[in-house]
Amino acid sequence: MSEGGKASSAGARDIESAPSRIDANPEDRVLRALAESFPKSVSDGEKVRPGLVRAHIDRSDLYPACRMLRDSLGFEHISMISAVEYDNRFEVVYHITSYSTRLVLELIVPTPKDDPTVDSVSAIWGGANWQEREAYDLMGIVFRNHPKLERILLPKDVLYHPLRKDFRG
Amino acid sequence: MAEMWINMGPQHPMTHGLWNLRVKVDGETIVDAVPEVGYLHRGIEKICEGKTYTQIIPITDRLCYGSSMTWSHLYCTTVEDLMGIEVPERAKYIRVVAIEMQRIASHLMWLAAYAGDLGMSVGFTYTMRDREVFVDLLQALTGARLTYNYPRIGGVAHDLPPNFVRDSIRATKYMEKRLKEYEDLFEGSKIFMMRNVGIGVLKRDDAINMGVTGPSLRASGVSYDLRKDRPYEAYGEMDFQVATHKDCDCYARYRVRMDEMWESCRIIRQALEKIPQGKWRIVAPRNAPAGTGFGRVEDPRGEGTMYVVGDGTDKPYRLKVRSPIFVTVSAAPKMLVGYKVADVVAIMGGLDMCIGENDR
Repeated sequence: MSEGGKASSAGARDIESAPSRIDANPEDRVLRALAESFPKSVSDGEKVRPGLVRAHIDRSDLYPACRMLRDSLGFEHISMISAVEYDNRFEVVYHITSYSTRLVLELIVPTPKDDPTVDSVSAIWGGANWQEREAYDLMGIVFRNHPKLERILLPKDVLYHPLRKDFRG
Repeated sequence: MAEMWINMGPQHPMTHGLWNLRVKVDGETIVDAVPEVGYLHRGIEKICEGKTYTQIIPITDRLCYGSSMTWSHLYCTTVEDLMGIEVPERAKYIRVVAIEMQRIASHLMWLAAYAGDLGMSVGFTYTMRDREVFVDLLQALTGARLTYNYPRIGGVAHDLPPNFVRDSIRATKYMEKRLKEYEDLFEGSKIFMMRNVGIGVLKRDDAINMGVTGPSLRASGVSYDLRKDRPYEAYGEMDFQVATHKDCDCYARYRVRMDEMWESCRIIRQALEKIPQGKWRIVAPRNAPAGTGFGRVEDPRGEGTMYVVGDGTDKPYRLKVRSPIFVTVSAAPKMLVGYKVADVVAIMGGLDMCIGENDR
């Protein structure tokens, strides 16, 4: 994946001299805007297939990046928030849709295993509210500054997060 | 007047399924609303982690009792994306036919429930009767009436049965006649119109911000339909319109669903006329590679999305299901506040709630 990221960023530099070509291609435009605005935290930007773009972002820049995505790049709709547990990390995966270009951005935010905390984006997209509650309920991801981070599918007195791999039902 | 909370549900004729709507009323006027879901949570995402890829197809059928075909189809497209499989052309057309029949059946079930909610029992019986036409066709195609287990990873389970093309085209023509009759029946009813027009307004900006998708979004004036915007299967070859409406109210949501049924009839006919010969299934590998797959389709209720993580074995490491109605119902307070308690039935009924996919 790192090789793909390098290749695409090199490709973005090549077409830097021809801005009209970049503007014609929404996938490149999004990747370039992310990489230029948050050079330290965005990595591994790649085009997966037409209409789907993937990028990793550090959790410290998640909120400003999402605000930029909605306000400047037209990503008005958050399709899905998924939480995945790996051996050494949690990943919160945001699929964000643009209604103008019909593009989906897959934004992956890794968090450490002992501190699964990310900023809430429900102030940016109201549709993220319940999805973040669901990720908290089932996977135990804590969303900072969420207006009401409570369990939503399971009863309130449950003590476990069932989608974690160490949970045995 | 003193404000008070009323529980509408979990056992209430308005809740199609098991969920609870807490409304805060000031006299008859709603001032706040809190939907509570989770009564039907079965842990499907966790169950899937312990099953092989093929075994999951019938489980995803159980996500929604109203439109199980779209969910198992969505699951298969997601896993095909993970495995990098290209489906044969004929299977794509068969899938389009099956999904559109499912869409008509789902919308008719919604219309039946909605008519029942609004006190038109005759609407319930008519629509349920005509839904049988498509349920019978799906039974001829798949062998089951509600949970089909028909799409496969790499195609569909069977080819079209004998005379299916003739019967389906006949059914769509019959359906178009009936749709005309429904429109006269519902829109000619003064009570139906009084309970719909101007009720439950969800403004365009609110609909976009709250993540509402599907007919409810298109009824708020946003033209967004994945069949048109990101054509999957054979939708790129089809000639159809995206149904939208600019009124943002319950009537607009009813109108969008009616228009979608008209368009579905057209799509079914086109797909059956253009369907190519050839294989309808290729054999998929048992194990998926390590990586991720992402699929999304236009479910009758909105944008259905799945995200699957494979780890090289024959079982998914993680399967995430995005239910459209789960996000749509979180926008319910925006539609409810300011209207009367009696309008709750029309507003929530107009969303086409399906608790099976909502709670997963």
